[in-house]
Amino acid sequence: MSAARVYVCSTGCVSSAGTGVAALAQALADPAWRPRLGIERPDAPSLPVATCREFSTRDVLPPLVARRLDRPARLLAVAAREALHPLGDPLPWPRDRVGVCAGTWNAGTSALLEVLRAVFLASPEEAPPAQFPSTVANAPASQLGILEKLGGPNLTFAEKQVGGLRALAEACRHLSHGRADLVLAGAVDEAEWLNAEVYDRLRTLRTSSRPGMVLAEGAAVLALACEPGPAPLAVLAGWGSASAPTAPCRYPTDPAPLVLACRQALQRAGLAPAEVGLVLSVANGIPGLADLERRALETLLGTHRPPVVATTDRLGEGAVGGALRALIAALAVAGTVRVAWEPPPHLAAAGFPAAAARTRSALVPGLAGGGSSVALVLTAP
Amino acid sequence: MREAWITGIGLLTALGPDRETTWRRLLAGETGIRQLTLFDTAGYRTHLAAQIDDVALRLAGLPRSPGRHVTRASHFALVAAAEALADADLPASGEGRGWALVVGGGTAGLYEAEGFVERRLRGGARTRGLGELVEVPQDSPADRVAHCLALTGPRITITTACSSSTIAVGTAAELVRDGEVEVALAGGSDALCRLTYAGFNSLHAVDPEPAKPFDRRRKGLSLGEGAALLVIEEADHARRRGVRPYARVLGYGVTNDAFHMTQPEPSGAAWERTVRAAIADAGVALSEVGYINGHGTATEQNDSAECAAYLRVFGARLATVPVSSVKGALGHCLCAAGGIEAAITALAIARATLPPTVGFAEADPACDVDAVPGIGRPGTPDVALSSSFAFGGNSSVLVLGRCA
Repeated sequence: MSAARVYVCSTGCVSSAGTGVAALAQALADPAWRPRLGIERPDAPSLPVATCREFSTRDVLPPLVARRLDRPARLLAVAAREALHPLGDPLPWPRDRVGVCAGTWNAGTSALLEVLRAVFLASPEEAPPAQFPSTVANAPASQLGILEKLGGPNLTFAEKQVGGLRALAEACRHLSHGRADLVLAGAVDEAEWLNAEVYDRLRTLRTSSRPGMVLAEGAAVLALACEPGPAPLAVLAGWGSASAPTAPCRYPTDPAPLVLACRQALQRAGLAPAEVGLVLSVANGIPGLADLERRALETLLGTHRPPVVATTDRLGEGAVGGALRALIAALAVAGTVRVAWEPPPHLAAAGFPAAAARTRSALVPGLAGGGSSVALVLTAP
Repeated sequence: MREAWITGIGLLTALGPDRETTWRRLLAGETGIRQLTLFDTAGYRTHLAAQIDDVALRLAGLPRSPGRHVTRASHFALVAAAEALADADLPASGEGRGWALVVGGGTAGLYEAEGFVERRLRGGARTRGLGELVEVPQDSPADRVAHCLALTGPRITITTACSSSTIAVGTAAELVRDGEVEVALAGGSDALCRLTYAGFNSLHAVDPEPAKPFDRRRKGLSLGEGAALLVIEEADHARRRGVRPYARVLGYGVTNDAFHMTQPEPSGAAWERTVRAAIADAGVALSEVGYINGHGTATEQNDSAECAAYLRVFGARLATVPVSSVKGALGHCLCAAGGIEAAITALAIARATLPPTVGFAEADPACDVDAVPGIGRPGTPDVALSSSFAFGGNSSVLVLGRCA
């Protein structure tokens, strides 16, 4: 079937830069901005996670409502309310026709650890029933659906680093098939120690003595609809997906699937590689991934060298890291953000310049441990 | 308009290590629910589950070895995937073919990681055990299947709790119908673990006896584990290969009741909306539906809300549409349940036999359906529904039909 045109009508986010898109834009405009890192874990030094330290639901959710939500759901709800606000109250669509597509890497893990702590250190009878529903990864999207009375498809994609990009792509598919009129799509990740410890033990987290990932806490939401609304920011014009067979948590060495995903996204958007105006780099601090991305972009773009923005090494990696890149891409084609951060060294050395002027199109590639690639293309409306 | 055919089924349940054993024992009215031995159940309200015992399952012949640290959930998924590909007469390697993989993500490697978490909570940071942790992410079974079978197409992991793999099958069929891929493997895999066992116990959602879906005496679910992978193939592609399909995926519906994290909207109105959305997506008439494979968890609220929904949709004709649940035989396999039930529904259509609701004996006025008691019986539905409901209010319904 021919895909419908999908507009990014509005956005919302909570990130280590603060609550709201304005806080993110302010950080992006500051070349020196860095997050404060660190989450506590039992009996060991903290791990590098860019957390939302100042996050509060104050002014957004009534205290009694906020108390019913777990922290990942509060993050997603606050981001969603920011995205919903410009669309009007009441919404121009029935709430039964509004869906949620959320990617996540680790939502539910803190609740999971609390339940297991009770089971192992007390007894199975002490497992807290109120916590158990929050252990499922779809709890934040579900709690958002209940909070806002959204009856459309409510889906969660647990695909590590590409979960957010997948959620955006799948939201487009559901809109194209007429299952919803509006989809709140994006991602949410939480700050917890179990997944962080996995990657610390795999030696892929950044330390003072080695390069690597910083993980992210936060949420990002893009309100997607087939109707543009009064002031659309961008068109989510294309998406693609392919994968390299790779053992769980390992990165592939072959750039071909990432190139294929990008080509599919550009083809769906009706763009040639030479028309890419901005690349939101997938670079996350892992040297092998940087090399793979450079080779992929050189294969895809030939001699074309569009500006590049790298945000994941500062805002953090995860499903929300990808969704934040898509959100920044939407703002970039809308001309409402100025990114002053330097391009990543591996792409600067290959001739990719820093972002300067407003662009008409942006490519957002994504690659997860295990080898799954998703790419999005956003264009000006 | 492209059609999405089910041309291969791989099935691994507490009733058997393969499709045919599971189907035969299910039709005979047997149950796989019995004493759980995977871990100590002292202190729990129930001691039963539909557990898979034979974990020394064959993995020979895979293009790539899964290595030492493959978890139960990934192991199950690999066995089901290999059986599905063989059943469809497709090669075991997807190298260069662009096949999609769409999986309902469950607890993944949590059972193995729980050992680490317990030692870590008790003993501190020096706890060893990286091998137990690498499949903690919920998309690990998909990564493991893709790695071992050399799959290079889109790889999607959907996590909507108990409806995950229903939506996975619907999504895969849509990728085929939209022309994005010619072949997709779709379904789910989930393994028992202490988190889910303790969690459902804490909610008092489990029956100390084997589950009795739709029965007046029902007191809750029995947990289970298993995997189902289905080969969803574009019809012309299948015809060219001369393979016989089980059934056709006509469409699916997915909505959210926005009501409560663990309880369904009781009137059935929200679930009704899902059924109607699925029927509309499939482009069939309600009068064509001849069988429903229900969610049928055997909890008080689920079964009554589900049956209320069917009554709202079908009215008096519901008396002529059998509704059965496999959860009295296979347990509730959580994120694998929808895939398993889609596989059973496809087998029912292909073999003109309706699976029974094992455990059902006494009718409940709140669940006024023909629950197919006892053993399997002949039935020739042209169109059948496979229905799932999940934590968070997500409901999804697949519409399967006989291939012309």
